[in-house]
Amino acid sequence: MSGRRVDAKVVLLGQEGVGKSSLVERCVHRRFRAGPYQNTIGAAFVAKVLSVGEQTVTLGIWDTAGSERYEAMSRIYYRGARAAIVCYDLTNSSSFQRAKFWVNELQNCEEGCRIYLCGTKSDLLEEDRRKRDVDFHDVQDYADEVKAEFFETSSKTGQNVDELFQKVAEDYVQFSAFQEMTEEKGVDLGQKSSSYLYGCCHH
Amino acid sequence: MAADVHKKKGWEVPNGSLAPGNGQHAERSESPTPGLAQGTEPGKGQSAGQEGAMFVHTRSYEDLTSPEDGGAVVRSPEERRGEPAEPTSMEQISKDFSELSTQLTGMALDLEEEMRQSQEGKLEPSPQATRHDSVLSGKEEEDVTMDTWRMHRKHVFVLSEAGKPVYSRYGSEEALSSTMGVMMALVSFLEAEKNAIRSIHADGYKVVFVRKSPLVLVAVARTRQSEQEIAHELLYIYYQILSLLTWTQLNHIFQQKQNYDLRRLLAGSERITDNLLDLMAHDPSFLMGAVRCLPLAASVRDAVSTSLQQAKAKSLVFSILLSGNQLVSLVRKKDQFLHPIDLHLLFNLISSSSSFREGEAWTPICLPKFNSSGFFHAHISYLEQEMDLCLLLVSTDREDFFTVSDCKRRFQERLRRRGVHHALQEALRTPFYSVAQVGIPDLRHFIYKSKSSGLFTSPEIEAPYVREEEKERLLGLYQYLHSRAHNSSRPLKNIYFTGPRENLLAWVTSAFELYICYSPLGTKAGAISAVNKLMKWIRKEEDRLFILTPQTY
Ligand SMILES: Nc1nc2c(ncn2[C@@H]2O[C@H](COP(=O)(O)OP(=O)(O)OP(=O)(O)O)[C@@H](O)[C@H]2O)c(=O)[nH]1
Ligand SMILES: [Mg+2]
Repeated sequence: MSGRRVDAKVVLLGQEGVGKSSLVERCVHRRFRAGPYQNTIGAAFVAKVLSVGEQTVTLGIWDTAGSERYEAMSRIYYRGARAAIVCYDLTNSSSFQRAKFWVNELQNCEEGCRIYLCGTKSDLLEEDRRKRDVDFHDVQDYADEVKAEFFETSSKTGQNVDELFQKVAEDYVQFSAFQEMTEEKGVDLGQKSSSYLYGCCHH
Repeated sequence: MAADVHKKKGWEVPNGSLAPGNGQHAERSESPTPGLAQGTEPGKGQSAGQEGAMFVHTRSYEDLTSPEDGGAVVRSPEERRGEPAEPTSMEQISKDFSELSTQLTGMALDLEEEMRQSQEGKLEPSPQATRHDSVLSGKEEEDVTMDTWRMHRKHVFVLSEAGKPVYSRYGSEEALSSTMGVMMALVSFLEAEKNAIRSIHADGYKVVFVRKSPLVLVAVARTRQSEQEIAHELLYIYYQILSLLTWTQLNHIFQQKQNYDLRRLLAGSERITDNLLDLMAHDPSFLMGAVRCLPLAASVRDAVSTSLQQAKAKSLVFSILLSGNQLVSLVRKKDQFLHPIDLHLLFNLISSSSSFREGEAWTPICLPKFNSSGFFHAHISYLEQEMDLCLLLVSTDREDFFTVSDCKRRFQERLRRRGVHHALQEALRTPFYSVAQVGIPDLRHFIYKSKSSGLFTSPEIEAPYVREEEKERLLGLYQYLHSRAHNSSRPLKNIYFTGPRENLLAWVTSAFELYICYSPLGTKAGAISAVNKLMKWIRKEEDRLFILTPQTY
């Protein structure tokens, strides 16, 4: 699944309830909804425009449902993704096991996809440090091993959320600049600055 | 996971009577002159038969059980070869149903008593007034008091045939496992055969079992609903589960592992099932087996439908615009009919989750009455943040998200160009009309269903039915009338019910069903003239209250 409207496909994966939708909500709408948990059904798509230097990057974000029911379908959501944000809940170690499952799956099926490990709900640790159930250094080691980036975020306070998505966008620009330049690509007049132009200026 | 819906063969509805030649280009026929004779009922729209109809032929709850039902469910060839083919089970259920109800009429004493009085009255306006007419006495009302109704909590359990809990409406399944065990024992005691329905009456409760292998559904109800209607609700729950998993996958799972814990796969869907049960207790759509339209000026609706029709894509089967649980417009692929039950499940899915408010959802969904073996992919989104207008685009191709998403954009653009946006917004401000518009002082509320179109209309429930319990009581009265009218051993064409709080009248013909509720001070003669007046009013308003010219791509 690829669309003309977006530059980079980004997929969020992770056990149900770890906070994927909340992360998107924070990134796109800059808010946090405390209310009752509404699990995602299937997957939700939303486009988010970020600027990287002079240029804009449109991320097509797929917020998938964590429920096992959709596991067999998950391929259609991550296929062709340039980045995967694999989430786990910092207060729940079983959710980290699930994250490892997704990392494996991506490594096997989506080679070109960069992986961002994301420990969520860090605000809960600030309330009570004993709530931490997934060790920071363990994840860092694991991230090195699988060549993933690693963030700990809170959608409640907003901590690290913008940084995470900004990093995704920057990496995309950096990794695709060279390809973009050599590829044939039509110029979209509606889009002021495309990565194509950006690529030109620097060479 | 089950394969996606078959792209070609799987669609052909085998039964010619269910899928007539398309009539989408047929102009809407001249509205028949107002009359009460059968076949000229309002809301029917285009000429005769299913031409241009929106749904497959609907026959309220019998629809779930009739042998004809098997024809509406299209199966993949693989599945047809497999032995536990569903048509057989549906026939079986149908058979069980008829056996059961004969048996039960004898059991339920109140019904028997009622039957004795059923010969007395007769309602004039019916051309086919027969000995089936019935007048129920006010003493019936005694049992239908507030207190009774307040208690009419209904417990629903779903378990696997191995006795593992799958769903429970109240309380955790864990705590109820022992109850489940008892139920399982009961089920096996009652029925060794698969796919059957049984019920027990005890202590003012009805316990109804529906066995749809590999699941068993149980309701413990304190309600005046008939067994058939309770079973009907349980079947909705069953279909709800199928819509998440498909029949094929459900069966496959339990073939692999008999004592599989299905809750793993259904995690997060409890809310959808809870919502369905709540909706069934409040919304007459389910009872009527029909769909209600948002009242909308015909010109606006036509503009919406045309815009929707033009924003098509190869993989689209249905484009549905809805508001609340009311239909605004529906465009379908030529020769493909959506069953009201499937549409109800979609309505329920959307109303049960606020998650669709953000972004664009793209989710696998099985429409069990259309094809229980595969998934469609549905694009679900709200047109605007603060507007209760949800667009549902049902596609056969799960890879087609961006094409379908583009259909939405095109639809919105066309809406804007046609300048109907404002009129739509205006209509959404008053999604229900007041019964006062009809101009019959004694008339409090009514439900009118046009059988051929599968649509019904009903005003807002107003005073004196203000509190939730009162509203539920009114729906309960309709449920009761409905079950009396459709009792399979003694169906009644006309029912006239006088009570201390309200008078009720039901009139069922082969073309329509009408249920009215009016002041207890009104006379029977008054009721009859009210019916005439009401039918004329509906006729006059039909192009606002119904969708008379359904569109295809
Ligand atoms: N305190 C705190 N709670 C959070 C945070 N992020 C999410 N939550 C809560 O965690 C619950 C689940 O959040 P969602 O974002 O819906 O989880 P999800 O991963 O999208 O779940 P699925 O859609 O079922 O896969 C909700 O009750 C949120 O309010 C956070 O950063 N801090
Ligand atoms: Mg979510």
